[in-house]
This record gives sequence, C-alpha cells and structure tokens, in this order.
Amino acid sequence: MEKMNSIFIIDDDPITVFGIKKMLKATVECSEIKDFHNGKKAMEQLRYDIENGVPAPEVIFLDINMPIMDGWEFLEAFLKLRIEEKVIINVITSSIDPSDYQKWNDFRLNCLHYLNFKNKPIFKIEATDLKRINLAS
Amino acid sequence: MKSTQTDLNRSILHQLPLATALVDTSFSLIDASDTWHHIFEATVDTSNPNSIFTFFEDHEGCTSELLEQYLIGNDIRTIRHKKVGTENTIWLESTFAPWFDQNDKIQGTIIQTKDIAREIRKDIELEKIKELFEATSEVSRIGSWEYSLETEKLSWCPMTKQIHEVPENYEPTVAEAIEFYKQGYSRNKISMLFHKVLQEGSSFHERLQIITQKGEERWVAAGGKAIKKDGEIVKIFGTFQNINAQVVAEKRTKESERLLTTLIDNLPINVFIKDKDSRKILVNKAECDYLDTTPNTLIGKTDFELYDENVAQISREEDLEVMRSLKPMLGEETINVKKDGKITHFLTSKIPLLDMDGKAYGLIGMSMDISNLKQKEEQLRNLINVTAIQNKKLINFAHIVSHNLRSHSANFSMLLEFLIKEEDPNEKERILKMLSSASDNLLDTLENLNEVVDISTNVNLDKKSLNLNEAICRVAQNLSAFLEKNKVELVNSIAKDLKVMSVPAYLESILLNLMTNAVKYRHPLRDPKILLQATIEEEGIEFIIQDNGLGIDLERYGDKMFGMYKTFHNHKDARGLGLYIIKNQIEAMGGQITVASMVNKGSTFKVFFNGKNE
Repeated sequence: MEKMNSIFIIDDDPITVFGIKKMLKATVECSEIKDFHNGKKAMEQLRYDIENGVPAPEVIFLDINMPIMDGWEFLEAFLKLRIEEKVIINVITSSIDPSDYQKWNDFRLNCLHYLNFKNKPIFKIEATDLKRINLAS
Repeated sequence: MKSTQTDLNRSILHQLPLATALVDTSFSLIDASDTWHHIFEATVDTSNPNSIFTFFEDHEGCTSELLEQYLIGNDIRTIRHKKVGTENTIWLESTFAPWFDQNDKIQGTIIQTKDIAREIRKDIELEKIKELFEATSEVSRIGSWEYSLETEKLSWCPMTKQIHEVPENYEPTVAEAIEFYKQGYSRNKISMLFHKVLQEGSSFHERLQIITQKGEERWVAAGGKAIKKDGEIVKIFGTFQNINAQVVAEKRTKESERLLTTLIDNLPINVFIKDKDSRKILVNKAECDYLDTTPNTLIGKTDFELYDENVAQISREEDLEVMRSLKPMLGEETINVKKDGKITHFLTSKIPLLDMDGKAYGLIGMSMDISNLKQKEEQLRNLINVTAIQNKKLINFAHIVSHNLRSHSANFSMLLEFLIKEEDPNEKERILKMLSSASDNLLDTLENLNEVVDISTNVNLDKKSLNLNEAICRVAQNLSAFLEKNKVELVNSIAKDLKVMSVPAYLESILLNLMTNAVKYRHPLRDPKILLQATIEEEGIEFIIQDNGLGIDLERYGDKMFGMYKTFHNHKDARGLGLYIIKNQIEAMGGQITVASMVNKGSTFKVFFNGKNE
C-alpha cells in the first residue's frame, strides 16, 4: 500500500469529502488527511504550514464550486505560494461546462504542479491521482 | 413778215430755260435752246452734222433704234438716259412730243430734256433702303405689312408671306388676312386690335396663333401702328414675326418646370436648395410640412433660424465642405433638432450646384426622414440585446441545473457503489444516512430551481401600483422577532404615499431578501442599522437600502454577486440563492438592481422599479 504524509481535500459537499476519504483509506496509507469547506480555509492552513516549515501536502483534491473562495481562486493563490515540491492537484467537478475544462487546461499548461481533471462521480482513486508515473523511465 | 416771225420764234427758242430741241421728220435738228446745246454737244460728223442721232451718240440708255421709235411716235414719251463723262455722270430725262402744224400734220418732234440727278439719287437711296429693309427682314425673320386707308389695300412683305406659307404673288384682303388667325381668341383679338388701330390710331403688339395656308398652326407676334399725315390716319404699318419655336420652347420649358415642381413637391423627401451663405432659395412641400410653414417664410432663412444651434452648425459645416470640395455628400445619416426640441433622423445628401466657371454657388439638399427606421433599428437592437442576455442566462441556467443535478446524482452513484460493497453494518448505516441527506439536498435543489424557473417563465406579469411603505411594514412585521433579536435599528425615510409598480409577491420577496441579508451579514462589533430611502426617477422609483454590515469585496466578487449559489461569507444560512432570485424578479419587471459596498463598512443596494406597465 502506498504511503503518504499529507493529503488535502477541499470541497464544501460533505458527501464527496466522505466518499474521497473512504476511497483513500482503501488505497493509501496516509497519516494526515485534512478537509476544508472552501479554498480560503485551505489557503490559511497552507500559509500557516509554510511559516512553520511543515511540508506541503503531496496530493490535493479540489472542488471548483465553493463559497467564499472557489477552486479557481484557490489555484491562482496556490501558484503564488513558495512551494518547492511538485504537488498533484486533482480538480474534481460535476460541471460539464466546457469552459471549466478549458480553464483547467490553461492552469495545467502554466504551472509546475501536476494537474488532473476528474468528473464526478468518482468510484475509485486511480494511481495517477496520487503519484506521477514517469513513463519514460 | 414771215421771216420776222420765224426769227422771233427762233430767238424765243434759243432763250427757253428748259432744254428744248426741234427735230424734223428726217431726224435732223432744226434748232434748239442754248440750254439744250449746253447738255448735248454734237460730235463732229461731217456727213450729217445736224442728225439728231449724233447728239445722243455718247448717251447711254437710248440707242438709235429706240430714239427713232420715239421720234416717229404719235404720243408723248419719256426716256431716261445718262451721259457718262470722265469725271461725272449726268442723269437726264428726255420727253419726246410730236410737233403739229395748223393742219395737224406732223412737222417733227419737240424734245425737252432735264437733268434728273436729284431724282435718281433719291431713287437709288430708296432702292438701297428697300434692300436693307428686305435684308433686315430676312435676317431677323421679321415680316411687315402695310394697309393703306385710301386704297383699302393690304400688302405683305415676302417674309410675312413666307410666315403665312402663301406664294409670293399672293395678295390678301384684310378679311382674308384676319381669316388666317386661329378661330377663337386669336381671331377675335386681331379683329378687335385692327379695328381699334383704325379708329383710334393706337398701336398694338400681340402674341397670337395663325393657321398657315398649309394648315400648320404657329405662334406669331403681330404688331401694328397707325401712320398719320396732317392728323389723319392714312396708313397702318405693322410687323409680323414667327415666334412659334420660341413659344413652343417656352411652353416646353414651362411644362418641364411644372413637371419638375410637381415631382419635387410630391417627393416624400425634403428637398431644398441653398445659396452660398446656406440660405434656402427653394424648398419643396415636404420640407415645408416638416417645418410646418410656407415656402415664403422659409426662403432666405438659414438653418440657424430653424434648428437647434449645434445641429445648424454641423449642417453649415457640411454645406461648406460640399461647396469647397465640390464633392457631393451622399446618404449620410444626420440628426435634426428643431427649435421645439423635436428630433428627426434623416438620410441626407447634399450636391453642389456649379456655375458656368465650375464654381459652387449653392447646393441641392435632399433629406429622407428615417426616424421610423431608426426607431425600429433601435427596437431591434434592444431585442437582440435582450435575446443575447436571455440566451446567456439560459446557458448559465442550464449549466447550473446540470451541475447541481449532476453533483447530487454523482453522490448517489458513489454512495450506492459503497453500499453494495460495504459489509460492515455500522458503516452501511452511515452510508444510508448520507444517502438520505443527499436525497434531501436534491429535493432542496429542485425546489430552488423551480423557484427560478417560475420567475423566468412568468411572462404575464401583473404589475400593480403598491404602497412601498405598507409593504415594508408588512415585511418588518413578519421579521419582527428576527429584527428584535438582532437589535436592528430601522430608519425609514420613505414618503408615506409613495407607490411603486410591482408584482405584489415579488415586492415582498425583494424586501424580505434585502432586509434579511442586511441583518444576516451584520458586523459582529456593532448593532445593525438599516436605512431605507426612495427617490422618484423619470421612469420609476429607486428604492435604496443601506446597512452597516460586513460589506463585500466588490472587486473580487462584483461579477458574481447576483450569481446562483454564490456565497461570500462563512454564514451557515447562506444559500447563494436570494440575490439571484430577486435580481431575476426585478429584471422580469423591467427594473434593475445595483450594489455599492465596502468591506467592514456596509453595503448599499439600489433597486429600480420601472413605472411602465409593459
């Protein structure tokens, strides 16, 4: 079983949070899985962690539609943070609006982190959701 | 005795003042007066020095044969001849009369000769004048006629005859001449005029119609003038001119002028001609109707006297540019504002008018009223805008619906998947609870969507005039417990009788939402204070609600403020639906809602209630 230190789940829907946590339990051994109701809460935690020398989470599950600070706003703020490690960010949405996919793609091309796009419903956590598989090696 | 008598006679003959000669029957000169010899110098002819022919030898105009004929004649004859000298020519007239004795026997011929230089000169002059007159008549195509009262004879000059299309030898009577005039006005008129000139000696000049010999109708200018001698009218002299081409051309010009005027006047376009100083020098009926006045009042006026100053200035600049560049301005959209403020949209063309030197001396303007078209265009554009907005709303709504329903259904499928695989009864119980909450959420969402669809599909809005204060009081009454609990200070400065046009249920929903929001997002450090105001606008009422709450970062959330499911505060009751719904309700009634806000200071919402009932 995969071992991880920190995973963030940012979603205002408790059912989705419950589902992701449940699925993670079955695939990964993680000491710390944190969930946040909106981007702002998660951002506050990240800033606090950076200040205290706590490493950034390895994987983030990010919902788009949230109050206060939505997924896109979070991403924008996240990219400005000084994080050395490459984080895998799974953008999760039930939206089928093509403009959302377009936006995700723009972010993907303009950042150092790994961005995945996942449509709800999610039945299983894929290996690529947690780890970057280097196909070349 | 007889000889003395003869001597006496001879002496008399010699001294006769009139040049006289006696010739016998054998054509020999018997004797002549000194004066005669003075004129006739006999050439030396030795064979027959007294032959009368020798005297006439150097004269032109009378040959020997002619002379002989005259000499043997029984009656008095006159002959004109001239003696051509080296320096001058002497014109002479000789009269031949037979000379009888007591027994009526011819003795010879008496010849009397006189110098007729003066008469000849006069004749020549007359001839010249005649020629000149004829030439003038031919060149100017002016004929003449003459009527002598004494002989009652009318004579026409060749040109007059030509105009009548009669042969050159035609000699008309007065009655015939009058007959040539066209029956009716022309004939009556000429009869009357001719009669008058005969009676009163008044002259005339009239344009009349004749019918020529060949049956052609033509216009003539006939003139007449009485010639008097010793106070008595003796002659009528007149002129006669063919002016058909002129009159026909004039008529044609008048006709085309009338045609043009009719055309210009009846065009449903404003037509005007302006001079160099942009003064109107011609206007058509449409232009007069537009300015509600007569052509006489418009002529000489400039745009500055007719239109709003700015408009007049623009028009004057256009005029100057057209006259300067000599390039027409075609189909430009212009706006005209009359002195009374009435606005008309025109499609205007201005074409420069050029003089012979190619310089502009004015312009022709044509303006077509396109106000109706403009209005339709405007309506169409509004309609397109509305449609575009509606369309955007619809797409937005479709995405919202799809997103919300999908998120619930996604939860269902996920939870069901878990349930199937789960073996732990406790965990199963938990999943079931989740499922039931997911189902509640779905119902909520459907209800919310229903509410929105209701507004959007409610086309037949029944707006009523409602008292704003009464509505506020009702809402405050319903919220009284909530307001009291939060220690809300409500300051209402709206006039007691102010009325707004609204759907009753919408007004209640709008007031309820805005007032609850003002309290819900209160500032934690102070008691909520809500100010209510209203202003009367041109097309409706603006309702203003101001709070001292948390405020919103409009720079960040401004565009999402009234979106569906957008919440900006961590408030447990925030549904993200209230503002979305009231915005829809307000817009459905033709109004609008705006917001101004400052973080930690408070927010001000302005709601415009459209007074029009569409």
